[in-house]
Amino acid sequence: MSQHAVSFSAVEKTYRRPRLLGAVYFTGVKDLSFEIPAGEVTGLLGLNGAGKTTIMKLIGGLLFPTAGKVKVFGQSPQGGAAKARVGFLPELPYFPPQVKPGDALSYYGRLSGLSGADLDAAVESAMQRTGLEPHAGKRVSEFSKGMLQRLGLAQALLHSPDLLVLDEPVSGLDPLAIHDIRGLLAGLNADGRTIFLSSHSISEVEKLCARVLIMVRGRLARTVKRAEWEAAPGGLEAIFVEAVR
Amino acid sequence: MKKIFSLTGAVAFNSFMESVRNRFFTLFAVFAFAAIYASVLAGVMAVDQEARVLTDFGLALMELVALAYALFSASSVLLREAETKTIYLVFSRPVPRSAYLAGKLAGSLMTSALMLAVMGLMHLLLLKFRGFGVPPGYAWALSGSLLKLAVITSFAFFVSLFSTSAVSTLVISGVFWTAGHFVTETRFLAESSGGAVAAALKAAIWIIPNLQLFNARDAAGASCALGPAAFFSAAAWVAGSYLAAVWLISGKEF
Repeated sequence: MSQHAVSFSAVEKTYRRPRLLGAVYFTGVKDLSFEIPAGEVTGLLGLNGAGKTTIMKLIGGLLFPTAGKVKVFGQSPQGGAAKARVGFLPELPYFPPQVKPGDALSYYGRLSGLSGADLDAAVESAMQRTGLEPHAGKRVSEFSKGMLQRLGLAQALLHSPDLLVLDEPVSGLDPLAIHDIRGLLAGLNADGRTIFLSSHSISEVEKLCARVLIMVRGRLARTVKRAEWEAAPGGLEAIFVEAVR
Repeated sequence: MKKIFSLTGAVAFNSFMESVRNRFFTLFAVFAFAAIYASVLAGVMAVDQEARVLTDFGLALMELVALAYALFSASSVLLREAETKTIYLVFSRPVPRSAYLAGKLAGSLMTSALMLAVMGLMHLLLLKFRGFGVPPGYAWALSGSLLKLAVITSFAFFVSLFSTSAVSTLVISGVFWTAGHFVTETRFLAESSGGAVAAALKAAIWIIPNLQLFNARDAAGASCALGPAAFFSAAAWVAGSYLAAVWLISGKEF
Protein backbone atom coordinates (compact mmCIF):
# COMPACT_ATOMS: atom_id res chain seq x y z
CA MET A 1 0.00 0.00 0.00
CA SER A 2 1.20 3.50 -0.84
CA GLN A 3 2.01 5.58 2.25
CA HIS A 4 0.46 8.55 0.48
CA ALA A 5 -3.28 8.54 0.12
CA VAL A 6 -3.03 11.14 -2.62
CA SER A 7 -0.17 12.47 -4.68
CA PHE A 8 -0.15 15.29 -7.22
CA SER A 9 2.86 15.56 -9.48
CA ALA A 10 3.24 18.71 -11.64
CA VAL A 11 -0.51 18.78 -12.17
CA GLU A 12 -2.13 21.36 -14.37
CA LYS A 13 -5.81 21.73 -15.13
CA THR A 14 -6.94 24.11 -17.85
CA TYR A 15 -10.64 24.69 -18.49
CA ARG A 16 -11.97 25.30 -21.95
CA ARG A 17 -15.09 27.41 -22.33
CA PRO A 18 -16.55 27.33 -25.86
CA ARG A 19 -17.54 30.68 -27.35
CA LEU A 20 -19.35 31.58 -30.54
CA LEU A 21 -16.04 31.88 -32.32
CA GLY A 22 -13.42 29.56 -30.82
CA ALA A 23 -12.97 29.12 -27.10
CA VAL A 24 -11.39 30.73 -24.08
CA TYR A 25 -9.05 28.89 -21.75
CA PHE A 26 -8.34 29.54 -18.12
CA THR A 27 -6.17 27.79 -15.63
CA GLY A 28 -7.73 26.02 -12.65
CA VAL A 29 -4.50 24.77 -11.10
CA LYS A 30 -0.92 24.94 -12.33
CA ASP A 31 2.35 23.22 -11.50
CA LEU A 32 0.79 21.57 -8.49
CA SER A 33 2.74 18.95 -6.54
CA PHE A 34 1.90 17.69 -3.07
CA GLU A 35 1.15 14.54 -1.11
CA ILE A 36 -1.51 13.72 1.44
CA PRO A 37 -0.12 11.23 3.96
CA ALA A 38 -2.38 8.28 4.76
CA GLY A 39 -4.17 8.53 8.11
CA GLU A 40 -3.82 12.31 8.38
CA VAL A 41 -6.35 15.13 8.28
CA THR A 42 -5.22 17.64 5.66
CA GLY A 43 -6.94 20.92 5.02
CA LEU A 44 -7.13 23.02 1.90
CA LEU A 45 -7.48 26.78 2.23
CA GLY A 46 -7.78 29.43 -0.41
CA LEU A 47 -9.86 32.33 -1.62
CA ASN A 48 -12.70 31.84 -4.11
CA GLY A 49 -11.31 30.67 -7.44
CA ALA A 50 -8.02 29.50 -5.91
CA GLY A 51 -8.53 25.97 -7.27
CA LYS A 52 -9.84 24.12 -4.20
CA THR A 53 -12.81 22.48 -5.90
CA THR A 54 -10.69 21.63 -8.94
CA ILE A 55 -8.33 19.67 -6.67
CA MET A 56 -11.26 17.88 -5.01
CA LYS A 57 -12.73 16.91 -8.38
CA LEU A 58 -9.38 15.71 -9.69
CA ILE A 59 -9.11 13.38 -6.70
CA GLY A 60 -12.71 12.21 -7.19
CA GLY A 61 -12.03 11.40 -10.85
CA LEU A 62 -14.61 13.94 -12.02
CA LEU A 63 -12.01 16.03 -13.86
CA PHE A 64 -9.01 14.86 -15.88
CA PRO A 65 -5.67 16.67 -15.46
CA THR A 66 -4.44 18.58 -18.52
CA ALA A 67 -0.84 17.75 -17.53
CA GLY A 68 0.92 15.92 -14.73
CA LYS A 69 -0.22 12.94 -12.67
CA VAL A 70 -2.78 12.47 -9.91
CA LYS A 71 -2.62 9.25 -7.91
CA VAL A 72 -4.98 7.99 -5.24
CA PHE A 73 -3.42 5.17 -3.22
CA GLY A 74 -0.95 4.81 -6.05
CA GLN A 75 -3.64 4.41 -8.73
CA SER A 76 -5.44 6.55 -11.25
CA PRO A 77 -8.44 8.30 -9.65
CA GLN A 78 -10.53 7.34 -12.71
CA GLY A 79 -10.15 3.62 -11.96
CA GLY A 80 -12.66 1.57 -10.00
CA ALA A 81 -10.01 0.37 -7.52
CA ALA A 82 -9.18 3.92 -6.39
CA LYS A 83 -12.81 5.05 -6.36
CA ALA A 84 -13.79 2.12 -4.15
CA ARG A 85 -11.49 3.55 -1.46
CA VAL A 86 -12.72 7.15 -1.67
CA GLY A 87 -15.76 8.77 -0.07
CA PHE A 88 -16.61 12.06 -1.77
CA LEU A 89 -18.74 14.89 -0.43
CA PRO A 90 -19.38 17.79 -2.81
CA GLU A 91 -20.29 21.22 -1.50
CA LEU A 92 -24.05 21.37 -0.78
CA PRO A 93 -25.01 17.88 -1.96
CA TYR A 94 -28.51 17.41 -3.41
CA PHE A 95 -30.92 14.59 -2.65
CA PRO A 96 -34.40 14.16 -4.15
CA PRO A 97 -36.84 15.85 -1.73
CA GLN A 98 -39.40 13.03 -1.77
CA VAL A 99 -37.09 10.28 -0.54
CA LYS A 100 -36.28 9.21 2.99
CA PRO A 101 -32.61 9.17 4.05
CA GLY A 102 -32.51 5.38 4.19
CA ASP A 103 -33.70 5.12 0.57
CA ALA A 104 -31.12 7.64 -0.65
CA LEU A 105 -28.35 5.82 1.21
CA SER A 106 -29.48 2.42 -0.09
CA TYR A 107 -29.18 3.71 -3.65
CA TYR A 108 -25.66 5.06 -3.14
CA GLY A 109 -24.73 1.91 -1.22
CA ARG A 110 -25.75 -0.20 -4.22
CA LEU A 111 -23.65 2.01 -6.46
CA SER A 112 -20.73 1.33 -4.13
CA GLY A 113 -21.22 -2.40 -4.70
CA LEU A 114 -23.05 -3.23 -1.48
CA SER A 115 -26.08 -5.49 -1.39
CA GLY A 116 -28.27 -7.57 0.93
CA ALA A 117 -27.42 -7.65 4.62
CA ASP A 118 -24.14 -5.75 4.05
CA LEU A 119 -26.07 -2.88 2.50
CA ASP A 120 -28.60 -2.76 5.35
CA ALA A 121 -25.82 -2.81 7.93
CA ALA A 122 -23.86 -0.07 6.10
CA VAL A 123 -26.93 2.18 5.86
CA GLU A 124 -27.75 1.68 9.53
CA SER A 125 -24.16 2.33 10.59
CA ALA A 126 -23.83 5.48 8.44
CA MET A 127 -27.12 6.86 9.79
CA GLN A 128 -26.09 6.13 13.33
CA ARG A 129 -22.63 7.70 12.91
CA THR A 130 -24.02 10.87 11.41
CA GLY A 131 -26.86 11.17 13.92
CA LEU A 132 -29.58 10.69 11.31
CA GLU A 133 -31.26 7.73 13.01
CA PRO A 134 -33.92 9.81 14.83
CA HIS A 135 -34.85 11.37 11.46
CA ALA A 136 -35.10 8.11 9.53
CA GLY A 137 -38.87 8.51 9.02
CA LYS A 138 -38.62 12.04 7.59
CA ARG A 139 -38.38 12.96 3.94
CA VAL A 140 -35.39 14.91 2.66
CA SER A 141 -37.69 17.88 1.98
CA GLU A 142 -38.13 18.21 5.76
CA PHE A 143 -34.36 18.30 6.38
CA SER A 144 -32.45 21.37 7.55
CA LYS A 145 -29.16 22.32 5.88
CA GLY A 146 -27.25 20.66 8.70
CA MET A 147 -29.18 17.42 8.31
CA LEU A 148 -28.59 17.47 4.54
CA GLN A 149 -24.89 17.84 5.20
CA ARG A 150 -25.03 14.88 7.58
CA LEU A 151 -26.78 12.88 4.88
CA GLY A 152 -24.04 13.92 2.46
CA LEU A 153 -21.44 12.68 4.91
CA ALA A 154 -23.40 9.47 5.47
CA GLN A 155 -23.36 8.65 1.74
CA ALA A 156 -19.61 9.25 1.69
CA LEU A 157 -19.11 6.86 4.63
CA LEU A 158 -21.31 4.00 3.38
CA HIS A 159 -18.58 1.82 1.88
CA SER A 160 -16.09 2.48 4.71
CA PRO A 161 -13.64 4.40 2.49
CA ASP A 162 -10.00 4.84 3.44
CA LEU A 163 -10.00 8.42 2.17
CA LEU A 164 -12.69 11.04 2.69
CA VAL A 165 -12.64 14.00 0.31
CA LEU A 166 -14.88 16.72 1.69
CA ASP A 167 -15.55 19.96 -0.15
CA GLU A 168 -16.68 22.61 2.34
CA PRO A 169 -18.18 20.13 4.84
CA VAL A 170 -19.27 22.85 7.29
CA SER A 171 -20.34 25.48 4.78
CA GLY A 172 -23.45 27.36 5.94
CA LEU A 173 -24.04 25.21 9.02
CA ASP A 174 -25.05 26.46 12.45
CA PRO A 175 -22.51 26.21 15.33
CA LEU A 176 -24.08 23.08 16.81
CA ALA A 177 -24.04 21.25 13.45
CA ILE A 178 -20.41 22.34 12.93
CA HIS A 179 -19.52 21.02 16.37
CA ASP A 180 -21.20 17.67 15.64
CA ILE A 181 -19.56 17.28 12.25
CA ARG A 182 -16.18 18.19 13.68
CA GLY A 183 -16.64 15.46 16.31
CA LEU A 184 -17.66 12.99 13.62
CA LEU A 185 -14.61 13.76 11.46
CA ALA A 186 -12.27 13.52 14.44
CA GLY A 187 -13.76 10.10 15.24
CA LEU A 188 -13.31 8.92 11.66
CA ASN A 189 -9.69 10.03 11.68
CA ALA A 190 -9.14 8.24 14.99
CA ASP A 191 -10.36 5.10 13.17
CA GLY A 192 -7.45 5.52 10.75
CA ARG A 193 -9.20 7.24 7.85
CA THR A 194 -7.46 9.89 5.82
CA ILE A 195 -9.44 13.09 5.54
CA PHE A 196 -8.88 15.82 3.00
CA LEU A 197 -11.16 18.80 3.40
CA SER A 198 -11.48 22.22 1.90
CA SER A 199 -12.94 25.12 3.82
CA HIS A 200 -13.26 28.86 4.05
CA SER A 201 -13.30 28.57 7.81
CA ILE A 202 -9.74 28.93 9.07
CA SER A 203 -10.75 28.18 12.65
CA GLU A 204 -12.33 24.87 11.63
CA VAL A 205 -9.29 23.81 9.65
CA GLU A 206 -7.10 24.87 12.55
CA LYS A 207 -9.05 22.67 14.96
CA LEU A 208 -9.18 19.55 12.79
CA CYS A 209 -6.13 19.39 10.57
CA ALA A 210 -2.56 18.27 11.08
CA ARG A 211 -1.45 20.00 7.90
CA VAL A 212 -2.85 22.71 5.67
CA LEU A 213 -2.28 23.51 2.01
CA ILE A 214 -2.82 27.15 1.04
CA MET A 215 -3.77 27.76 -2.59
CA VAL A 216 -3.33 31.12 -4.31
CA ARG A 217 -4.61 31.62 -7.87
CA GLY A 218 -4.26 27.95 -8.82
CA ARG A 219 -0.85 27.41 -7.28
CA LEU A 220 0.21 25.90 -3.99
CA ALA A 221 1.52 28.89 -2.04
CA ARG A 222 2.36 27.17 1.25
CA THR A 223 2.15 23.91 3.16
CA VAL A 224 1.84 24.51 6.88
CA LYS A 225 2.08 21.93 9.66
CA ARG A 226 0.19 22.22 12.93
CA ALA A 227 3.39 22.89 14.92
CA GLU A 228 4.15 25.85 12.66
CA TRP A 229 0.86 27.65 13.07
CA GLU A 230 0.74 26.85 16.78
CA ALA A 231 4.14 28.54 17.17
CA ALA A 232 3.32 31.49 14.92
CA PRO A 233 1.97 34.74 16.38
CA GLY A 234 -1.59 35.11 15.04
CA GLY A 235 -1.81 31.38 14.28
CA LEU A 236 -2.95 29.96 10.98
CA GLU A 237 -4.99 33.03 10.10
CA ALA A 238 -1.89 35.24 10.06
CA ILE A 239 -0.03 32.71 7.89
CA PHE A 240 -2.96 32.47 5.50
CA VAL A 241 -3.40 36.23 5.16
CA GLU A 242 0.29 36.66 4.51
CA ALA A 243 0.24 33.91 1.85
CA VAL A 244 -2.76 35.19 -0.08
CA ARG A 245 -1.92 38.90 -0.04
CA MET B 1 -20.45 -8.59 -15.77
CA LYS B 2 -22.87 -9.39 -12.94
CA LYS B 3 -21.65 -6.26 -11.14
CA ILE B 4 -22.31 -4.11 -14.22
CA PHE B 5 -25.86 -5.47 -14.50
CA SER B 6 -26.40 -4.86 -10.81
CA LEU B 7 -25.20 -1.23 -11.10
CA THR B 8 -27.28 -0.66 -14.24
CA GLY B 9 -30.32 -2.10 -12.48
CA ALA B 10 -29.78 0.16 -9.44
CA VAL B 11 -29.57 3.29 -11.63
CA ALA B 12 -32.56 2.18 -13.74
CA PHE B 13 -34.76 1.47 -10.72
CA ASN B 14 -33.79 4.75 -9.04
CA SER B 15 -34.45 6.69 -12.25
CA PHE B 16 -37.83 4.99 -12.67
CA MET B 17 -38.84 5.66 -9.06
CA GLU B 18 -37.81 9.32 -9.34
CA SER B 19 -40.01 9.69 -12.43
CA VAL B 20 -42.96 8.02 -10.75
CA ARG B 21 -42.59 10.23 -7.67
CA ASN B 22 -42.33 13.32 -9.83
CA ARG B 23 -45.40 15.58 -9.89
CA PHE B 24 -44.64 16.24 -13.52
CA PHE B 25 -45.53 12.62 -14.18
CA THR B 26 -48.83 13.02 -12.33
CA LEU B 27 -49.67 16.07 -14.40
CA PHE B 28 -49.13 14.09 -17.56
CA ALA B 29 -51.38 11.32 -16.30
CA VAL B 30 -54.13 13.87 -15.64
CA PHE B 31 -53.55 15.43 -19.06
CA ALA B 32 -53.66 12.03 -20.74
CA PHE B 33 -56.93 11.19 -19.05
CA ALA B 34 -58.46 14.49 -20.15
CA ALA B 35 -57.15 14.10 -23.69
CA ILE B 36 -58.54 10.60 -24.04
CA TYR B 37 -61.85 11.79 -22.71
CA ALA B 38 -61.84 14.46 -25.43
CA SER B 39 -61.35 11.68 -27.97
CA VAL B 40 -64.69 10.22 -26.85
CA LEU B 41 -66.34 13.47 -27.84
CA ALA B 42 -64.59 13.35 -31.21
CA GLY B 43 -65.72 9.73 -31.57
CA VAL B 44 -69.35 10.67 -31.04
CA MET B 45 -69.06 13.14 -33.92
CA ALA B 46 -67.66 10.39 -36.17
CA VAL B 47 -71.07 8.64 -36.14
CA ASP B 48 -70.67 5.13 -37.70
CA GLN B 49 -66.84 5.24 -37.58
CA GLU B 50 -66.79 5.94 -33.86
CA ALA B 51 -64.79 2.88 -32.84
CA ARG B 52 -62.09 3.56 -35.43
CA VAL B 53 -61.84 7.28 -34.59
CA LEU B 54 -61.76 6.57 -30.85
CA THR B 55 -59.01 4.00 -31.29
CA ASP B 56 -56.84 6.05 -33.65
CA PHE B 57 -57.28 9.32 -31.79
CA GLY B 58 -56.58 7.73 -28.41
CA LEU B 59 -53.50 5.84 -29.59
CA ALA B 60 -52.06 8.95 -31.26
CA LEU B 61 -52.62 11.07 -28.15
CA MET B 62 -51.07 8.45 -25.90
CA GLU B 63 -47.99 8.32 -28.09
CA LEU B 64 -47.64 12.11 -28.13
CA VAL B 65 -48.07 12.43 -24.37
CA ALA B 66 -45.52 9.68 -23.71
CA LEU B 67 -43.21 11.28 -26.30
CA ALA B 68 -43.45 14.68 -24.63
CA TYR B 69 -42.62 13.20 -21.23
CA ALA B 70 -39.81 11.01 -22.58
CA LEU B 71 -38.23 13.95 -24.42
CA PHE B 72 -38.50 16.36 -21.49
CA SER B 73 -37.04 13.73 -19.21
CA ALA B 74 -34.23 12.56 -21.53
CA SER B 75 -33.19 16.08 -22.50
CA SER B 76 -32.94 17.39 -18.95
CA VAL B 77 -31.91 14.46 -16.76
CA LEU B 78 -28.14 14.59 -17.32
CA LEU B 79 -28.03 18.39 -17.21
CA ARG B 80 -30.08 18.41 -14.01
CA GLU B 81 -27.90 15.77 -12.36
CA ALA B 82 -24.80 17.80 -13.23
CA GLU B 83 -26.36 21.05 -11.97
CA THR B 84 -27.51 19.52 -8.68
CA LYS B 85 -24.16 17.70 -8.33
CA THR B 86 -26.00 14.38 -7.94
CA ILE B 87 -23.76 13.06 -10.69
CA TYR B 88 -20.70 13.73 -8.47
CA LEU B 89 -22.03 11.23 -5.96
CA VAL B 90 -22.37 8.64 -8.74
CA PHE B 91 -19.17 9.15 -10.72
CA SER B 92 -16.97 9.45 -7.64
CA ARG B 93 -17.99 5.81 -7.04
CA PRO B 94 -16.80 2.79 -9.04
CA VAL B 95 -19.71 3.13 -11.48
CA PRO B 96 -18.74 2.79 -15.17
CA ARG B 97 -20.25 5.64 -17.17
CA SER B 98 -21.63 3.12 -19.67
CA ALA B 99 -23.58 1.40 -16.85
CA TYR B 100 -24.90 4.73 -15.60
CA LEU B 101 -26.09 5.71 -19.06
CA ALA B 102 -27.66 2.29 -19.68
CA GLY B 103 -29.45 2.58 -16.33
CA LYS B 104 -30.77 6.06 -17.10
CA LEU B 105 -31.99 4.91 -20.51
CA ALA B 106 -33.61 1.78 -19.08
CA GLY B 107 -35.27 3.85 -16.33
CA SER B 108 -36.65 6.25 -18.90
CA LEU B 109 -37.99 3.40 -21.03
CA MET B 110 -39.57 1.74 -17.99
CA THR B 111 -41.31 5.05 -17.27
CA SER B 112 -42.53 5.30 -20.89
CA ALA B 113 -43.79 1.71 -20.75
CA LEU B 114 -45.66 2.43 -17.52
CA MET B 115 -47.17 5.60 -19.00
CA LEU B 116 -48.34 3.74 -22.09
CA ALA B 117 -49.73 0.88 -20.00
CA VAL B 118 -51.68 3.22 -17.68
CA MET B 119 -52.96 5.36 -20.54
CA GLY B 120 -53.79 2.24 -22.56
CA LEU B 121 -55.84 0.91 -19.68
CA MET B 122 -57.71 4.21 -19.40
CA HIS B 123 -58.26 4.19 -23.15
CA LEU B 124 -59.65 0.64 -23.13
CA LEU B 125 -61.96 1.52 -20.24
CA LEU B 126 -63.26 4.47 -22.24
CA LEU B 127 -63.79 2.24 -25.27
CA LYS B 128 -65.66 -0.25 -23.10
CA PHE B 129 -67.72 2.58 -21.68
CA ARG B 130 -68.72 3.48 -25.27
CA GLY B 131 -69.66 -0.17 -25.89
CA PHE B 132 -66.59 -1.30 -27.89
CA GLY B 133 -64.20 -4.17 -27.28
CA VAL B 134 -60.40 -4.26 -27.47
CA PRO B 135 -59.39 -3.15 -31.00
CA PRO B 136 -57.49 -5.79 -32.98
CA GLY B 137 -53.72 -5.39 -32.86
CA TYR B 138 -53.99 -3.00 -29.90
CA ALA B 139 -51.02 -4.45 -28.01
CA TRP B 140 -48.95 -4.28 -31.19
CA ALA B 141 -49.86 -0.62 -31.61
CA LEU B 142 -48.65 0.12 -28.07
CA SER B 143 -45.50 -1.95 -28.65
CA GLY B 144 -44.79 0.08 -31.79
CA SER B 145 -45.16 3.32 -29.82
CA LEU B 146 -42.76 1.99 -27.19
CA LEU B 147 -40.20 1.07 -29.86
CA LYS B 148 -40.45 4.58 -31.29
CA LEU B 149 -40.00 6.05 -27.82
CA ALA B 150 -36.94 3.84 -27.29
CA VAL B 151 -35.39 5.17 -30.50
CA ILE B 152 -36.12 8.83 -29.77
CA THR B 153 -35.19 8.63 -26.06
CA SER B 154 -31.79 7.10 -26.76
CA PHE B 155 -31.21 9.72 -29.46
CA ALA B 156 -32.20 12.52 -27.02
CA PHE B 157 -29.72 11.17 -24.44
CA PHE B 158 -26.99 11.28 -27.08
CA VAL B 159 -27.90 14.83 -28.14
CA SER B 160 -28.10 16.04 -24.53
CA LEU B 161 -24.42 15.18 -24.10
CA PHE B 162 -23.25 17.74 -26.64
CA SER B 163 -26.05 20.30 -26.82
CA THR B 164 -25.81 23.43 -24.73
CA SER B 165 -29.29 23.31 -23.19
CA ALA B 166 -32.33 21.10 -22.64
CA VAL B 167 -34.26 23.27 -25.10
CA SER B 168 -31.81 22.64 -27.94
CA THR B 169 -31.95 18.89 -27.21
CA LEU B 170 -35.75 19.06 -27.34
CA VAL B 171 -35.70 20.93 -30.65
CA ILE B 172 -33.13 18.64 -32.30
CA SER B 173 -34.93 15.49 -31.07
CA GLY B 174 -38.30 16.92 -32.14
CA VAL B 175 -36.97 17.56 -35.66
CA PHE B 176 -35.53 14.02 -35.68
CA TRP B 177 -38.91 12.61 -34.62
CA THR B 178 -40.81 14.57 -37.27
CA ALA B 179 -38.33 13.74 -40.04
CA GLY B 180 -38.51 10.08 -39.04
CA HIS B 181 -42.18 10.02 -40.06
CA PHE B 182 -41.36 11.28 -43.58
CA VAL B 183 -38.61 8.89 -44.64
CA THR B 184 -40.77 7.39 -47.42
CA GLU B 185 -41.48 10.85 -48.79
CA THR B 186 -37.81 11.79 -48.45
CA ARG B 187 -36.86 8.68 -50.44
CA PHE B 188 -39.38 9.60 -53.15
CA LEU B 189 -37.96 13.13 -53.33
CA ALA B 190 -34.40 11.80 -53.48
CA GLU B 191 -35.31 9.57 -56.41
CA SER B 192 -37.15 12.30 -58.28
CA SER B 193 -34.53 15.04 -57.84
CA GLY B 194 -30.91 15.24 -58.85
CA GLY B 195 -27.53 16.72 -58.00
CA ALA B 196 -26.69 17.98 -54.53
CA VAL B 197 -30.33 17.89 -53.38
CA ALA B 198 -30.63 14.18 -54.18
CA ALA B 199 -27.31 13.47 -52.46
CA ALA B 200 -28.39 15.41 -49.35
CA LEU B 201 -31.75 13.62 -49.22
CA LYS B 202 -30.11 10.22 -49.67
CA ALA B 203 -27.71 11.02 -46.83
CA ALA B 204 -30.66 12.09 -44.66
CA ILE B 205 -32.32 8.71 -45.19
CA TRP B 206 -29.23 7.05 -43.67
CA ILE B 207 -29.09 9.25 -40.58
CA ILE B 208 -32.82 9.36 -39.82
CA PRO B 209 -34.71 6.28 -38.58
CA ASN B 210 -37.85 5.27 -40.46
CA LEU B 211 -40.35 5.69 -37.62
CA GLN B 212 -43.23 4.65 -39.90
CA LEU B 213 -41.93 1.10 -39.44
CA PHE B 214 -43.28 1.21 -35.89
CA ASN B 215 -46.71 2.65 -36.74
CA ALA B 216 -48.71 -0.50 -36.10
CA ARG B 217 -51.69 1.67 -35.19
CA ASP B 218 -51.97 2.71 -38.85
CA ALA B 219 -52.59 -0.93 -39.73
CA ALA B 220 -55.47 -1.51 -37.35
CA GLY B 221 -56.94 -4.95 -37.69
CA ALA B 222 -53.67 -6.65 -38.53
CA SER B 223 -53.05 -9.45 -36.07
CA CYS B 224 -49.27 -9.01 -36.10
CA ALA B 225 -48.52 -5.60 -37.48
CA LEU B 226 -44.91 -5.31 -36.30
CA GLY B 227 -42.48 -7.29 -38.39
CA PRO B 228 -38.95 -8.36 -37.42
CA ALA B 229 -37.60 -5.35 -39.36
CA ALA B 230 -39.22 -3.02 -36.82
CA PHE B 231 -37.55 -4.75 -33.87
CA PHE B 232 -34.21 -4.99 -35.65
CA SER B 233 -34.35 -1.33 -36.68
CA ALA B 234 -35.25 -0.18 -33.16
CA ALA B 235 -32.46 -2.29 -31.62
CA ALA B 236 -29.93 -0.93 -34.11
CA TRP B 237 -30.90 2.72 -33.54
CA VAL B 238 -30.97 2.37 -29.75
CA ALA B 239 -27.61 0.58 -29.75
CA GLY B 240 -26.09 3.16 -32.13
CA SER B 241 -27.30 6.15 -30.10
CA TYR B 242 -26.27 4.49 -26.83
CA LEU B 243 -22.74 3.71 -28.04
CA ALA B 244 -22.33 7.25 -29.39
CA ALA B 245 -23.55 8.62 -26.04
CA VAL B 246 -21.12 6.36 -24.13
CA TRP B 247 -18.29 7.66 -26.31
CA LEU B 248 -19.26 11.26 -25.48
CA ILE B 249 -19.82 10.75 -21.75
CA SER B 250 -16.57 8.84 -21.25
CA GLY B 251 -14.58 11.98 -22.07
CA LYS B 252 -16.91 14.39 -20.31
CA GLU B 253 -15.84 16.24 -17.16
CA PHE B 254 -18.21 17.25 -14.38
